[in-house]
Amino acid sequence: MSASVRKRWRRTQVRVLSAILPPTSFVPGIDHERCSDFLARYRREVPFLMQLALNLSVLVFLFSPPLTGAGLRPALALSPVRLERHCAGLARHRIYHLRQATLMLKTVAGLVWGADPAVRDSLGLAPYAEDPRDRRRS
Amino acid sequence: MTRGEHLSFRTGADFELELDYVVVGSGPGGSAAASLLSRAGRTVALCEAGAWRDTPHMPASVFGALRDLFSDFGQLMARGRSMIPIVQASCVGGTGVINSAICVRTPESVLEGWGTDHGLGDFLTPAAVERAQTEIEAELDVAAMGDGQLGRHDRLLLEALAMTDREAHPTSRNARDCRGSGACLQGCPTGAKRSANLTWVPEVLTAGGCVLSCAPVARVVFEGERAVGVRGRFQNPDRTYRGPRGAAFRVRARRGVLVAGSATGSAPLLARSGVRLPALGKGFRAHPGSGVIGIYPERVDPLIGTTQGASSIHHSDDLGIKLESLTLPLDLLPGRLSGAGATLARSLAESSHMAMWVAAVNAEAQGSVRCARLPTFRGGPYGKNIVSYQPTKKDVARLRAGCATLARLHFEAGATRVLPGIHGVPVELDRDRVHLIEEAPLDNRAWTWILSHLFGTCALGDDPARSVVGPDLHVHGRRALHVVDASCLPTTLGVNPQHTIQAVARLTAERLANCEAA
Repeated sequence: MSASVRKRWRRTQVRVLSAILPPTSFVPGIDHERCSDFLARYRREVPFLMQLALNLSVLVFLFSPPLTGAGLRPALALSPVRLERHCAGLARHRIYHLRQATLMLKTVAGLVWGADPAVRDSLGLAPYAEDPRDRRRS
Repeated sequence: MTRGEHLSFRTGADFELELDYVVVGSGPGGSAAASLLSRAGRTVALCEAGAWRDTPHMPASVFGALRDLFSDFGQLMARGRSMIPIVQASCVGGTGVINSAICVRTPESVLEGWGTDHGLGDFLTPAAVERAQTEIEAELDVAAMGDGQLGRHDRLLLEALAMTDREAHPTSRNARDCRGSGACLQGCPTGAKRSANLTWVPEVLTAGGCVLSCAPVARVVFEGERAVGVRGRFQNPDRTYRGPRGAAFRVRARRGVLVAGSATGSAPLLARSGVRLPALGKGFRAHPGSGVIGIYPERVDPLIGTTQGASSIHHSDDLGIKLESLTLPLDLLPGRLSGAGATLARSLAESSHMAMWVAAVNAEAQGSVRCARLPTFRGGPYGKNIVSYQPTKKDVARLRAGCATLARLHFEAGATRVLPGIHGVPVELDRDRVHLIEEAPLDNRAWTWILSHLFGTCALGDDPARSVVGPDLHVHGRRALHVVDASCLPTTLGVNPQHTIQAVARLTAERLANCEAA
């Protein structure tokens, strides 16, 4: 995959995760720049099957609006109201595997969102320290 | 190499060492056995697939924990009609590093059942298990959590249980000095949790043994029917590593091999090593569970206090469930809540007002564990080993009753709404609609399960058709090969298994040491 295609795909992933966990007047949503950095790290550090699961889940989200009655266009081309209907419909869809795809997106979105210092601050939580990424070597 | 050395990932020449015993896996079972054998004067090599992380190395974020402490980034799933995540660690200290450190003594009724139904009455007597657990409690500073350590989510559960005349108690944990940072899942950041990476494993080193970390064992090596060692290859835990592959190792065991690779790992290892028994990999059991979140008018601050400080066995007999409080890190909360989009974001905005309580089912379902058959799928779609497991309708009915009970307890404690997280039930319920939980579907796909207590696949027993390890503690048909982890427990317990695993492992090691002495 070329760098430009990868960049566009990552931007799509970020927009999908942001739709899953949008900002509200009470808490911030997903920070796009932070999410993009996280996804780069995710690609480097998680097993292939987890990457595959995320990519498939994003594709399911993008092309399933006809199944949720939100419209015939891809999810990111929907109006905000229809996009919200699509999110809600997918999360409670009668087809188990569609719900599981949403669960995968919610899980990854949660990993980005829950570690964001701005989010943690808004909920009265201390920011995470840096992960040491070290081990006993001898 | 010299004795008393820790060998982590390395490249270069292959090497071989020889000691009295090899223990495969450093979780609660493996480390308990290894420490006792060390005390008996035996030299022990402890092989662990994961890395050794001390308190300063513990990740802060959940992403870091999944990467650094969990098996395969937490992607191990039980597959059946639904996919159920399995909570299991891969690091020195095993799942004891990421669990809530709860220590519950083995119920006497369970031991009696093992005696009558599995021929273990001479080995696992109530008196012997009690003695072992008393010793372990002293060594690991096991204590009931005090008022100052409990979080508000714990106290609310204790209050609700007391108000409804149900049994309730603060949990006993091997974390006497717990500071309530609510980060058990990421490895204790303060070192208060006395997991094996901080206690028994260093003791093995001090006694002159060897610890091999980042060292997954590929096979047990046999000479005839006798297990004489293990072999494997070091694996760098950093997935971004692109250097030369790890060195191969072979550890010869003069006296025996103890397998403690977990309920999902030991059976596949034995199968890969050529052990063929009808019960191998069969009889996988668990305590599947799910939770109900209550939303309270005042702040609960669930991340302050012990992760699981309150518990009740009131419904163990009639409903087959155990009730507990549980802290979920903020990073994992979106995956647990219903809905997506603005609905999910609105729910998350109330996270500081949430208390989560869980019901763990003493399930009757049995599954199996096996290696992926096709080499291309090794490390495959559900992790390195394939776990097949599906809660029965009766198990789902028990969980449903447990969740309805939890929802009512939330309202007793003052919650204004509950979030049941069940497909087919509204996202939020008020007090008047709790009955909808009791009408929830019995299809296990409707429920958000998690498997955290695992048993079986190498069960102890006197019948080779139904068990893998005999009452003489050798794998049937083999010599000097033993199993000392959750996989050798023949049934579920109905309580947290860590303490039982430690006691059984310790008693096994004690008998091995005594037999030799005799």
